[in-house]
Amino acid sequence: MFNATILGQVFVNGVSLSAIYILVALGFTLLFGIMRVVNFAHGEFAMLGAFALFHLIKDYHWPWLIALPVGVVGVALASLVLEWLVFRWFYQRMFESMIGLLGLNMMIMFGAVLLWDVHERNIPSVSSEVLMLGDIIVPVDRLIVVIIALAALAGFYLFIRYTRAGLAMRAAAQDLEIAETQGVNTRRTYKVAFFVAILLAALAGALWGQIYAVSPFLGERPLLMAFVVVILGGMGSIPGAALGGVLLGFTESFVGTFYGAAASAFLSFGVVILLLVVRPWGILGTPET
Amino acid sequence: MHRKWLSAALVGAAFMVAGATVAPAQETLKIGGIGPLSGGGTAWGLAAQRGMEIAIEEINAGGGFKSGGKTYKLELLMYDDQYTGAGGKAAAERLVNQDNVKFIVGPVGSPPALGVISVTNPAKVVALTNGYAPQILKNDTKDPYNFRIYPTNIEFGPPLIKWLKDNAPEVKKVAMLAPNDAVGQSVAGALAADYRKQGFEVELELFERGIKEFTPLILRMMAKKVDAFEFDGNSPGDAGLMLKQIRQAGFKGKVIQVGGPGSDEIIEIAGPAAEGFLSYGVFDWDTPAGKKLRPIYEKKYGKGIINQFMPAFYHTVFLLVDAIKRADSVDTTKVRDALDAMNGFDAGIYGPVKWTGKDFYGVNRQLMFTYYLAEVKGGKLVTKAKFQP
Amino acid sequence: MSVNKRILAVVAAIVLLGWPWLTEDKFLHHIGVLICLTSIAACSLHLIIRTGHVSLCHTAFMAFGAYGSVIVVMQLGMPWPVGLIAGTALAAAVAAVIGPIVLRLTGKYFVLITFLMGEVVRMAIIENSWLTGGSNGIFNVPPPYPFLLSNRAYYYFALGFAVFGVGLCARLLTSEFGRAMDAIREGERLAECSGVPVIRFKVMVFVIACALAGMTGSLQAHYIKFVGPEAYSGFQSLNLVVMNVIGGMTSLIGALLGTVFMVTLPELLRGYVNLQQIMFGAILFATMAFLPGGLVELGRRLRKLLWGRREDAAAAEAGARAGTRASPQAS
Repeated sequence: MFNATILGQVFVNGVSLSAIYILVALGFTLLFGIMRVVNFAHGEFAMLGAFALFHLIKDYHWPWLIALPVGVVGVALASLVLEWLVFRWFYQRMFESMIGLLGLNMMIMFGAVLLWDVHERNIPSVSSEVLMLGDIIVPVDRLIVVIIALAALAGFYLFIRYTRAGLAMRAAAQDLEIAETQGVNTRRTYKVAFFVAILLAALAGALWGQIYAVSPFLGERPLLMAFVVVILGGMGSIPGAALGGVLLGFTESFVGTFYGAAASAFLSFGVVILLLVVRPWGILGTPET
Repeated sequence: MHRKWLSAALVGAAFMVAGATVAPAQETLKIGGIGPLSGGGTAWGLAAQRGMEIAIEEINAGGGFKSGGKTYKLELLMYDDQYTGAGGKAAAERLVNQDNVKFIVGPVGSPPALGVISVTNPAKVVALTNGYAPQILKNDTKDPYNFRIYPTNIEFGPPLIKWLKDNAPEVKKVAMLAPNDAVGQSVAGALAADYRKQGFEVELELFERGIKEFTPLILRMMAKKVDAFEFDGNSPGDAGLMLKQIRQAGFKGKVIQVGGPGSDEIIEIAGPAAEGFLSYGVFDWDTPAGKKLRPIYEKKYGKGIINQFMPAFYHTVFLLVDAIKRADSVDTTKVRDALDAMNGFDAGIYGPVKWTGKDFYGVNRQLMFTYYLAEVKGGKLVTKAKFQP
Repeated sequence: MSVNKRILAVVAAIVLLGWPWLTEDKFLHHIGVLICLTSIAACSLHLIIRTGHVSLCHTAFMAFGAYGSVIVVMQLGMPWPVGLIAGTALAAAVAAVIGPIVLRLTGKYFVLITFLMGEVVRMAIIENSWLTGGSNGIFNVPPPYPFLLSNRAYYYFALGFAVFGVGLCARLLTSEFGRAMDAIREGERLAECSGVPVIRFKVMVFVIACALAGMTGSLQAHYIKFVGPEAYSGFQSLNLVVMNVIGGMTSLIGALLGTVFMVTLPELLRGYVNLQQIMFGAILFATMAFLPGGLVELGRRLRKLLWGRREDAAAAEAGARAGTRASPQAS
């Protein structure tokens, strides 16, 4: 079974899975790192992003390249209302945020059930072409997803590294009080961070809906994955989310192909549990004092 | 002022009394509905609920029905079972003991169905359930009051597999991918055994329900040199995704589902990749009944994919009402006996139906009707073979 | 005060023992059974929460109790008390093994690891269908004793266990033991310095709570007559947490109030499931955002409003206490 073609295919699948896992996990880890909020409603923003893309394409017949950014930014902007109504109450209140946002998760999910009904929908593929690299098959729509995810990652990195808002975020994440005394407007920084986090979640969801399917329950799986990725990499750590996504994506692809689904599920959960016991702050996280 | 109000009220009351005495003796018969309305099985529960609602509206709009010299209108009391045994039991306890319901339609899944019949059989309440577990019918209950209104792969599996053997001789090794939930576990094992019995080799892989990326498992199967994929036991959405990913992975062989309602949803999700997909089906939307039902459904619940349990539960309400008419009574024992004698009943949905199952379950309580195998051609299902019960 | 309390206790006893005879409605008796059983589970989880840990795998221990008991009774042909003891002991043993490992983790990591462990237990049940019946579970589970087939009889049976279980929790919380638990939650290091053997202590609480959960599992499985993995998923564990949160995490009364609320509300709203979920969500959010002390705190605030200034000072003090205790170990 271990021949070059299959290994190559496993690699290609690993890349495509990793890209989407990283995208989902980035916003999750950002919210935690800066506001100490465990966003259990994260998957629901992914679901909203997917529905936005679905409606813009199916009902308004927008071209994909316009519908994707407009839908995703639209969801992130609209979510600022939720920031004001819900999230701001939970900043720096980690335990309360977990349970309170689980409540928000239920509200959005079942609101969506009332609004959209439960059946699964399909966003038409950008391309159903297939690229052949030797014997290895690369579906073009997956390739596009990987490219967009990489572009989003790069953009995010540049934002965090080179803009004033990014600097303020890093400062707030490191030490809130010192950042405030140095003149960082935390309220505004929180808003920007929230917007960016939801933008990433909605983008992840739209791409997820694109390659899989759209339904009100779409958010459950991305949330679980974000969770596992972030624990692996370290809660609040951005490079950690990238590393965690790659680890989980490749593990799932490799173990799933060679040892089956049950082995893959047990292994990823087992490793995360083990990691939590010996190094709860994750591979790249920092222990709290 | 007060007097004016009083007289108005009196007049109103008088009219109401008069109305009550003039109208023919009409009673309301409550039908209990149970299905998953929350969690992963919601699509099935809603389909069941909507099918029953449409049927009941249709019957009531026609003036109800007569039984034992009385005219009845129907009312649906629908409860959630959370797709668990405990949820099914709780819903049944409430329907039987608090709402005094004598006839229950549903639930959809095996665990809640088993919970329901543990309540309804001792209480002599008629239960028309779905659910794939053989134990729903095959148990040591004496004098049971439950029926199963939808065929399972125990009934339709062997004939369909035989068809595959006769018509696709190149298929020797079949890959089965199914979730490890209640449906998948009860379907997949039995179906794999049926395939093996007819000389096929089977590679069976059960996965955790909820995963959407099946490519690693598909690659695993392809590396084992399978000639066909089999989907029975999956939700339509997952089956659609698998189909898409199987074709994207470059698999060229046959893909079939021996059982599992929801071909329309599979085609919707898989898009062009659905071409050539072989599916079991029982209800055809292009029949007169289908053409009548679809607009009613879309008007009431909006456009969208319609789950195939909708017509099944629509059908069941008519089956039950016809039995109550024939029994000429709402006594549950009489209605049950009338149901037992319903062979040949035709509500215009599935054609004539028949009770089977004596050989396998020990009771003739498994409803069977014509089913068929269809192939997707140009995005549409085209019937390839029909099977009579 | 103590006379009042005694009268209250007598009235409560009369109500709890008497109400099933006021109605022949088996469904109400069924709800009574559910409240009794769930209250043991919620109160035992309350014990763990009081040490500053929120467990998301409490129903996994109910699963150990349920499956242990059902397998012993149905496959080994043992009488039910043996099953009950076996199931309870299994839950306690597992808790004793994993407790020392996971209880070293602080708040959030404990939440995460228990969530994952709950999932692993559920997956293990599903994968080992030769023993557990897999996703389809085990059917036709016999009642503990034949005369317990009626819901009313089972209610009294369950009530007995509930009095034992909840009473045990209450006794622990009001003893020296309970004060040590509060000390651990408020400041683990400080408690350690004051001579409380923190880890050993937390493990002990964890084992007791999980044993009670196992006992509940056995009682529930033999009542529902069915045991399957869905009843023990993370969602159900979360429900137990929600009961504690809604009622108020600062007192056992909160857990009881939350139980009654969470068991009866879905039954009243069974037909309107989606709205019910949205409402639960809203309640959860609003409680965590504005009323971390839950129903108990709400009661205090109402009393303050009604009785005005007379109890003002006392209420304010109580409120402040509730405020500091509301969040078990935020970091």
